[in-house]
Amino acid sequence: MLIHEPCGTVHTPPLALAEPPPLVGATIGVLDNTKPNAGVLLHRLAGRLAERTGAVVGPVVTKNAATPCEDQVLDRLGKEVRIVLTGSAD
Amino acid sequence: MLADTGSFLDLPDGTTAQDLYEARGWGDGLPLVAPTPERVAEMLAGCPGTDPDEVVAVLPPRDGEATRRILAVNAVLAGCRPEHLPVLVTAVRALARPEVNLRGVNATTHCVAPLLVVHGEVADTAGYNGGLGAFGPGNRANASTGRALRLVLMHVAGAVPGPGDASTQGGPAKYGYCVAENTADSPWEDYAHRVGVDAPSAVTVHCGEAPHNAHDMESDDPVRILAKIASAMTSTGQNNAAISQGEYVVALCPEHAAACADAGWSPDDVSRHLYEQATMRVGDLRDAFALRAWAPWQEELADDDRMSMTERPENIRVLVVGGPGKHSSVVPSWGMTRSVTLPVEP
Repeated sequence: MLIHEPCGTVHTPPLALAEPPPLVGATIGVLDNTKPNAGVLLHRLAGRLAERTGAVVGPVVTKNAATPCEDQVLDRLGKEVRIVLTGSAD
Repeated sequence: MLADTGSFLDLPDGTTAQDLYEARGWGDGLPLVAPTPERVAEMLAGCPGTDPDEVVAVLPPRDGEATRRILAVNAVLAGCRPEHLPVLVTAVRALARPEVNLRGVNATTHCVAPLLVVHGEVADTAGYNGGLGAFGPGNRANASTGRALRLVLMHVAGAVPGPGDASTQGGPAKYGYCVAENTADSPWEDYAHRVGVDAPSAVTVHCGEAPHNAHDMESDDPVRILAKIASAMTSTGQNNAAISQGEYVVALCPEHAAACADAGWSPDDVSRHLYEQATMRVGDLRDAFALRAWAPWQEELADDDRMSMTERPENIRVLVVGGPGKHSSVVPSWGMTRSVTLPVEP
């Protein structure tokens, strides 16, 4: 007897970029959501990324994990950095 | 002829669907109804005139595509009838709304689970229970639809304990969490219409903890009854305590609701009163939570001020559930999520 599998297909949106742009000289920002271990993980990741690509680690800013990011934080990141690392939790 | 989409597994004689699924890490641990093509086709008859392969929603963290066909598969697994499928489809559509924050709901260490509340005609025609024992066992519509939604979250959304669901202890609400609103015994207009959904049938999803009991056996005075409900809202163990901006569902039993209505109180009056009474001393909250997530205005309060457990009265959502007796429930949300009510559409 045949039965259905229950999971279906994973959505795969089209890629916006064929390959990531060079990061030499780019500034990496860290948006720390203040959850336990988020800062540790993000700082190390930023350091490794800088070592591998020639980027530099720039500002580290924090946001409340429970609420949308404040406009002034987004404005600062928009002006000062080219890529942002965020999204970790406990 | 088999459907031309989806994948199939061969179920050998003497093997159950549960055995086959369990070997692949699927299922909720309970016996499953084998989703044969014939059963899935019968289930899809619950959504006539629709495209079974239309993507109704994309569900994180797996980003699985929830088509009506894959929802029907999970509805069969859970024991649903075809008339339950439109409720499941609507609930999935609601969970995909950005304000629900389904990625966080599924992936958090908290015990949150989506509470599904069925409103209006479909509650009667499809057999949902909003009366005695509504949060408990014994009703196929509540049990199977709630279970189907959990199976969808595990299979399609990838909320599997470990890789997609980090809940520290899990929780019984994660097996199935579905009730109807008891409109027949409510003194007020039904919840869906009160929040602006003008439809014969509707579904609300509210991502929260399992129900916290609040009983008052002796009062006809809403102030005394609601004092006990406010007490159930002010424990520091719940996520809302550290956030102080989240929603609560307050599911009043009909007798508590009648006491409020007999005193001339509307649901909004109940919400406002609970907002004013479900408060804690700010300094005590600060002592309890170094990692709190308050709004800036909340941080500016003095230690001896009192602060409500949520930011505004509208976050306290009142409806009627249950049968005879004097037990109501508080369902604190996860905090970083908002409830959504949608009309039932297949």
